[in-house]
Amino acid sequence: MAYRLGIDIGGTFTDFALFNEADGSVAIHKQLTTPDDPSRAVLQGTAGLLAGHDLDLAAVVEIVHGTTLVTNAVIERKGARTGMLTTRGFRDVLDMAREKRYDVFDLRLVFPDPLVPRRWRGEVDERCHYDGRVEIPLDLAGARATLTGLVEEHGIESLAICLLHGYANPGHEQALREMAAAAYPDLMVSLSSEVSPAWREFERFTTTCINAFTQPMFDQYLGRLEAGLANLGFTGRLFVMSSSGGTLTPGTARRFPVRVIESGPAAGARMSAFHGRVLGRPELLSFDMGGTTAKGALIRGGAAIKVYHQEIARAHGFKAGSGLPVQSPVIDMIEIGAGGGSIAEVDVRGTISVGPHSAGADPGPACYGRGGTAPTLTDANLVLGYLDPGFFLGGAMTLDTAAAERAIGGQIAGPLALTPARAAWGIHEIIDEDVARAFRIHASERGFDYRGSSMVAFGGSGPVHAMGVARKLGIPRVIFPAAAGVMSALGLLASPLIFEVARTRQAFVADLAQADFAATFAALEAEAMAPLTAAGISPDALTVSRQLDMRYHGQGHEIEVNLPAHTTVDALPALFREHYAAVYGAALLDAPLVVTTWKVEASAPPPELATARPPAAGEATAKGTRQAYFPGGYVPTPVYDRYGLGLGSAIDGPALIEERESTVVIGSGERVQVDDFGNLVAELTNNEGTSS
Amino acid sequence: MTAAATQQQSLDAVSVGIMWDRLVAISDEIVTTLVRTSFSTIVSESYDLTVALMDRDGQLMAQGTYSVPVFMGTAPATLQHMLDRFPAHSLRPGDVVITNDPWLGTGHTFDINVMRPVFQGGRLIAYVMSITHLPDIGGLGFGAAAREIYHEGLRLPVCKLFEAGQRNDFIVELMRNNVRAADQVIGDLLANVTATKAGEDMLGAFLAEYGLADFTALSGEIRGRSEAATRQRIARMADGSYLNEIQIEGVDGPLTLACRIDITGDAMTVDFAGTAPAVRRGINVPFCYTRAMVLYSMKCLTVPELPNNGGSVVPITVTAPTGCLLHAQPPSPTGARHMIGHFVSPLVFGALAGAVPDQIQADCGMLDLMTFQGRHRDGHDVSTIYFASGGFGALAGRDGAETTPGPSNMAVVPVEVWETLTSTTIEHKRLLPDSGGAGAARGGLGQEVVIRNDSNNLLTVFCMANRTEFPPLGIMGGSPGRLRQHRVNNETVDPKGHYELQPGDRITMIEAGGGGYGDSSGRSREAIQVDLEEGFITPEGAARDYGIDYGTFEPS
Repeated sequence: MAYRLGIDIGGTFTDFALFNEADGSVAIHKQLTTPDDPSRAVLQGTAGLLAGHDLDLAAVVEIVHGTTLVTNAVIERKGARTGMLTTRGFRDVLDMAREKRYDVFDLRLVFPDPLVPRRWRGEVDERCHYDGRVEIPLDLAGARATLTGLVEEHGIESLAICLLHGYANPGHEQALREMAAAAYPDLMVSLSSEVSPAWREFERFTTTCINAFTQPMFDQYLGRLEAGLANLGFTGRLFVMSSSGGTLTPGTARRFPVRVIESGPAAGARMSAFHGRVLGRPELLSFDMGGTTAKGALIRGGAAIKVYHQEIARAHGFKAGSGLPVQSPVIDMIEIGAGGGSIAEVDVRGTISVGPHSAGADPGPACYGRGGTAPTLTDANLVLGYLDPGFFLGGAMTLDTAAAERAIGGQIAGPLALTPARAAWGIHEIIDEDVARAFRIHASERGFDYRGSSMVAFGGSGPVHAMGVARKLGIPRVIFPAAAGVMSALGLLASPLIFEVARTRQAFVADLAQADFAATFAALEAEAMAPLTAAGISPDALTVSRQLDMRYHGQGHEIEVNLPAHTTVDALPALFREHYAAVYGAALLDAPLVVTTWKVEASAPPPELATARPPAAGEATAKGTRQAYFPGGYVPTPVYDRYGLGLGSAIDGPALIEERESTVVIGSGERVQVDDFGNLVAELTNNEGTSS
Repeated sequence: MTAAATQQQSLDAVSVGIMWDRLVAISDEIVTTLVRTSFSTIVSESYDLTVALMDRDGQLMAQGTYSVPVFMGTAPATLQHMLDRFPAHSLRPGDVVITNDPWLGTGHTFDINVMRPVFQGGRLIAYVMSITHLPDIGGLGFGAAAREIYHEGLRLPVCKLFEAGQRNDFIVELMRNNVRAADQVIGDLLANVTATKAGEDMLGAFLAEYGLADFTALSGEIRGRSEAATRQRIARMADGSYLNEIQIEGVDGPLTLACRIDITGDAMTVDFAGTAPAVRRGINVPFCYTRAMVLYSMKCLTVPELPNNGGSVVPITVTAPTGCLLHAQPPSPTGARHMIGHFVSPLVFGALAGAVPDQIQADCGMLDLMTFQGRHRDGHDVSTIYFASGGFGALAGRDGAETTPGPSNMAVVPVEVWETLTSTTIEHKRLLPDSGGAGAARGGLGQEVVIRNDSNNLLTVFCMANRTEFPPLGIMGGSPGRLRQHRVNNETVDPKGHYELQPGDRITMIEAGGGGYGDSSGRSREAIQVDLEEGFITPEGAARDYGIDYGTFEPS
């Protein structure tokens, strides 16, 4: 029997999903994360899970691993002493950033400090132009002396080589790497022309610095993990989840740790897309809400929308623009500072606002009884009766309803002259509204019409809020997948090996010869396929897709155009017009067309993940009743055990359906049914949005 | 929840909060529609736009979050001018009213104000207004060159672009005949129309969803709460009269801006008596723009987190003598009114140093806009603007950010993109050590950028630099930042001239540093040490500005 194991390290828990390929059964496990050395929880949990099922690790042929380690290293600034070599005259790019404020009203806004301080950045004599022409040849001897200073006086452990226009001509960066390797063989080196060969120097340099900053730590971590797994008898293949919804070999992940930054959320979105494909619903909103943040992604045509820019380690709350830019492939994610731990307060307007400040896990919400006194979303959901004080995390933790009522009563209801129930409902509704607003704007900016699509809801708090958000958005259907609490760990097992390459080379479409066009893509395809064929995948089995960033001459921003197979250069204008109209309405200009960044994605076939079906059963029977608040007041509400629901059973709201990590809240007049795959599916008929 | 139940809860803190947030979200979604349907990069990239939602009494309920500062609070006044011409009772569904008159709209002819009355069940329930900076409006083009308003292109009175859904093609053709890049201009004009229609649909759906008959009560609640929040913050400021006067560079010599701010309890008045008279250049500021800059600056000091609406502006009265630079009258030209108007911010911040010392900001080095026109080495025409920022002014306990603009906010074009688009070469782009004003908190550093004409063609550069004679001032005892300077082939040149660069010629921009905050003796040794190690200040600077001798310290 062959098994595959998904392991996802989150902030609080490390989740495990063990998939039996023979019968499609899935065993899940949760282990507290060990922040000092996350590989310990991984190894302990793996050993425990297998022992619990009387299995030997040798039976596991594949492990796919997702981790927030790289993001955390950047947020906590716990990485290598990193130096930088750059073109003379440009070492201040990191301090100057975009020369723009992300908030015009907040004079006290803060920008993140560069990861590499100015004194550890050295300049070298060299200069290339945008078309790859060399104006000033590389002064290797001078560069060597500068590097010696960085290593021997400043003690740098990792080096980012970031030359202007390095994407157009990587020659100087490569020569510097050879020099560095000869001089300091143990020094880790990241090249901007490899990490992110696309233009915009601040973004590329920063991305390369993040890669260099996290590389030694991630290399050591993977080393400990590989050795530990081998010790436990693992002889199969290890893969690492990337931010873009694919997996990487450990070798590729070591070279490009910057690509694994958002691996957990990416796996969740990947799993949503997987459910959508199984259910024949290619247009989806993936909605994941946990303890501190909510994450959303749009699934279009069965795949999550992918972009080549993101922002991490925001320095000012969750304010967009206050973080460090990362220019590498990632699922286009909405991130909102809204989760179970989000703190509610009376704002300057005399209304309630919730988040982005979070009580975290410690002290946590007031109802945790660990000394937290601030009212949180979890406190509100407890007061509303959505959560069972005796069945939180399947009964592993008892919640203190009186403490939640005190917090909400004293800090929200009292000052605003509301009943505690109304105040709690307000907190709950404001989060629904915040999430709905984020989805609306995100979808609207991308020309995505969600009104006919479905929502997939998961995470600890997602199922509590999904119906409310869906009502506000006018979405007709919400899917609550089985095993929602380990959605990311399962998603790891649904992810194929993928590698993307994006390289900037500007050209006017009118000047582009077909042979040149084909040759440029052929080179990129070879580059994208190499890590996959090196992992033993036959080139014939790979799917290769191509995109081009294009724009009108004179415009500053590109749009991404998908190229169908065998697209020739002659077809580009029509393809561009079609995409432009989809994004910007019908507005078309009479200006020459320019291509800028060329992108290729190679992916292996997605792994099979046909999970076993739950038993057919008859009527759903409630395990009890409790008072829960719905608009109008508290009503006695039946409570169901999700694990006791068989295929086809249907439940009319109001109802609460509990599983270990979460509760599905179904309102009055709503109906939910268990489908053939064990998912709960709620249909919202005539949903055109409702109010508070 | 049922409509009846909603009414029952009436407007408690929960429902007001949620509906308020939704109205702001609607204005933001109209902005996305506007951006998605517009033609020009001014809208889609620079976001030089705003969207405003007003109730049936013309009161501002919500405004797009991403509005540029200069559009603060202008829409209700513009709407009133429109209603003076077309009274509310005469408006019909499908009407769209427009104007670009600088005195009725937002201060120069480039901004088109597009208003749609919103009807539901035949009743007028609200107004949606969308404002964008058009790519062109005829005349001399964008800049300060005009001597009178007649040089500044088409000036449309309040008129109906659509009447009961029927387009007035005469207006469209009139514009088409009078502007450059007509397709883009008309495209943007109609994008505004589309955006207001989206707004009408969303507002109608909002009322249906919440079971409301109109916006009056909700609007009153939103504005009332905003006004109260603003008054609460103003009340914390010490009562008194606060004066300030600054010298700034005009086109033909220095100009004086003066203000007097009176704070009494929870209200304030701002007056600009003492300000120089208007000049015969396109840098005059109509009062609507002056007021918007005051409201923007006060919002920064009072409740920056509060969404924009008509309530927060009630406690702030703004006046200026008719005919002065900040209350210019026709036929004064106003095309580049931002050149003077942006100084309203440092002027009022400087005045309020005594009232709110912990909140005000030292002067910013401000933006430098330089227009480049020529031909790329690949043969294509080049016409584009380079933005280079000076340092941000320091605040209490917070150093000014390096190379960060204020009060305007346009991002720099990355070097790699700039060089690709223009085939010029940026030889270097360096921070200028010691350029930030010294203080307990240091002003942000300025920068030096050298651009070489490698296009193999003649390149013309149009400059409009400020801060070349009067530096960004420090505050609360902080020192001024370093002056801005332009050089051509290393010779200092008139910062407001235009220059023809031959192939191989260089233009150098030396950007001003931000002003410092507080006496430099209050700066910690650690902060000075870090600045020195990072090379943000030199050992000479440390000795001169902070009286600390680091001797032979050599920053690496």
